[in-house]
Amino acid sequence: MKSRTLKRTRSDLLFSFILDAPALLMTVLFIIVPIVDSVIKSFQDYGVRNIISGKPGVWNNFANYLYLAKTDAFSMASIHTFSFVLGVVVLQFLLSLLLSLILNTEIKGARLLRSIMMTPWVVPTVISALIWMWLFQPQYGFVKYLVNLVSLGKVQDFAMLNNPRTALAGVGIAALWKQIPLMSLLLLAGLQNVPQEINEAAMIDGAGKFRRFLSVTLPYLSPVIKVSISMAIIENFKQFPLFWTMTGGGPNNATTTLAVLSYREAFVSMNLGSGAAVTTLWMLMMILVVFFYNRVFRVQDLG
Amino acid sequence: MSKTRTLKHDGPWYTAGKYLILIVILLFLLFPIYWVLVTSFKTNMEAYQYPPTFFPHSPVLDSFIKLFTQHNQFFVYYQNNLIVSASVALLGCILAIFAGYSLARFKNRWNQAFFALLLASQMFPVISRMISLYAIMGKLGIINTLGGLIFALLAAQVPFCIILMASFFANIPTEIEEAAFVDGAGRWRILFTIVTPLVKSGLLAVGIYAFLMTWDDYLHAATLIQDDSLRTLSVGIALRYLGELSYDWSLVNAISIIGTIPVVLLFFFFQKYMIKGLVAGAVKG
Repeated sequence: MKSRTLKRTRSDLLFSFILDAPALLMTVLFIIVPIVDSVIKSFQDYGVRNIISGKPGVWNNFANYLYLAKTDAFSMASIHTFSFVLGVVVLQFLLSLLLSLILNTEIKGARLLRSIMMTPWVVPTVISALIWMWLFQPQYGFVKYLVNLVSLGKVQDFAMLNNPRTALAGVGIAALWKQIPLMSLLLLAGLQNVPQEINEAAMIDGAGKFRRFLSVTLPYLSPVIKVSISMAIIENFKQFPLFWTMTGGGPNNATTTLAVLSYREAFVSMNLGSGAAVTTLWMLMMILVVFFYNRVFRVQDLG
Repeated sequence: MSKTRTLKHDGPWYTAGKYLILIVILLFLLFPIYWVLVTSFKTNMEAYQYPPTFFPHSPVLDSFIKLFTQHNQFFVYYQNNLIVSASVALLGCILAIFAGYSLARFKNRWNQAFFALLLASQMFPVISRMISLYAIMGKLGIINTLGGLIFALLAAQVPFCIILMASFFANIPTEIEEAAFVDGAGRWRILFTIVTPLVKSGLLAVGIYAFLMTWDDYLHAATLIQDDSLRTLSVGIALRYLGELSYDWSLVNAISIIGTIPVVLLFFFFQKYMIKGLVAGAVKG
């Protein structure tokens, strides 16, 4: 009997490996190998010539990294990326939390609202960019009209995406529009797991709405909050199509994020080596941010 | 009695504030969609009117007719997008059944490492991968082919699909399999004829998720495809219909609608499964 279970564990192992194999192969070939290879390329002089001739890149003594340090393009792109991520994630969380809390109360048609509010999430990213470019359009756009109306005619020519001061916020609004639905959906699912008995017990004990939210709802919701915020951080760190379609990194590089900078280096200037240097540093930053985010959140969980 | 009643009912200001916030957020989410719909039914004359009109004076189908008659290339992109998305969804489901089942059933060290690998691989930026794949796939001769694009996109979607699928398999009690095993059924037969039919709704969620995410792709196609006849939707739209100077906004809005319809229909038709799946995948996975 014992040898049979032993045999079974061994064949379990073999069977599970066979099942994993195709997905493992795909992940290694198309994700892990390219990522490692791009880190290697970041230390090489690798351009379009190498692709055409098939010659391997040549080690160039950190020239790609030194080049990034020389101009302020990289530091500016980092600042833009971090401001974008911070702004979008914080606003997204607050608005999604409000929306999900409201939809979780007794409201007529909450189910219907929950389903139609998901529409922006389904709209393809490039098309979301088009939608907001049309709303922000500098001559006939709806937002120009709205700003004119709200400011009582003081601001006549509002052009969100053409002004270096507001362009990043403009792309951020499009990102919020597309991402709020999913986060609200996840938070709403989390809210429905908060046990009603505890909430009612706290209510009988005389705890007010805000107090109950802080000491009953929030602790139950925190695992969902943690996951959905970390998803939002990663997604916005990686955001590319919105920028590339809406502004192309302009005006005057005001929306050049790390994604735009690396794409421009690698696929417009065709310096794949220095593009890889940008993506390597970008990945490092992202890993650090996610790592510290998880750290901070764990400490809060204990306290 | 009276005390519980006062506790249950909200004050008028609170209720008003609640509805105000709800309306503002919903307007933000839904007005842009209304605006695109309205614009697509306007003539260009009316679309370029300031202040804008909130309802077309005389709704016309001009922009849609123009799209179907003069801008046929759009439907080449559309068809390619459909081929690529459907292939990724189908292949993604197969890989997710295999590896998802393995992750849910066999808790060994290898699978733990595999799970960590899947989680990590979702984090890497696509541009990073493309810089290298551009050269690697060029050498393999699969750059600029729909097949190569499908593989690159499949790899990008497969990690989340597997994690999602594993959470559905984990809900199936092992007793069912044990019984079949005692009856002499082989492992593959158990997986395909007994367990997989029980996770049909999860499989649907995985397939639709993979389809939606692939339909949305821009970067893979932008770097791996150079032939105009092989381009997919997002890249095709961005390159062909967004000229620096001449925006035909009615046409662009019609494109937005036609480009979104398949995914909106898919989502709303299967939203029961999708919402369950998204929540399961994100919260439990």
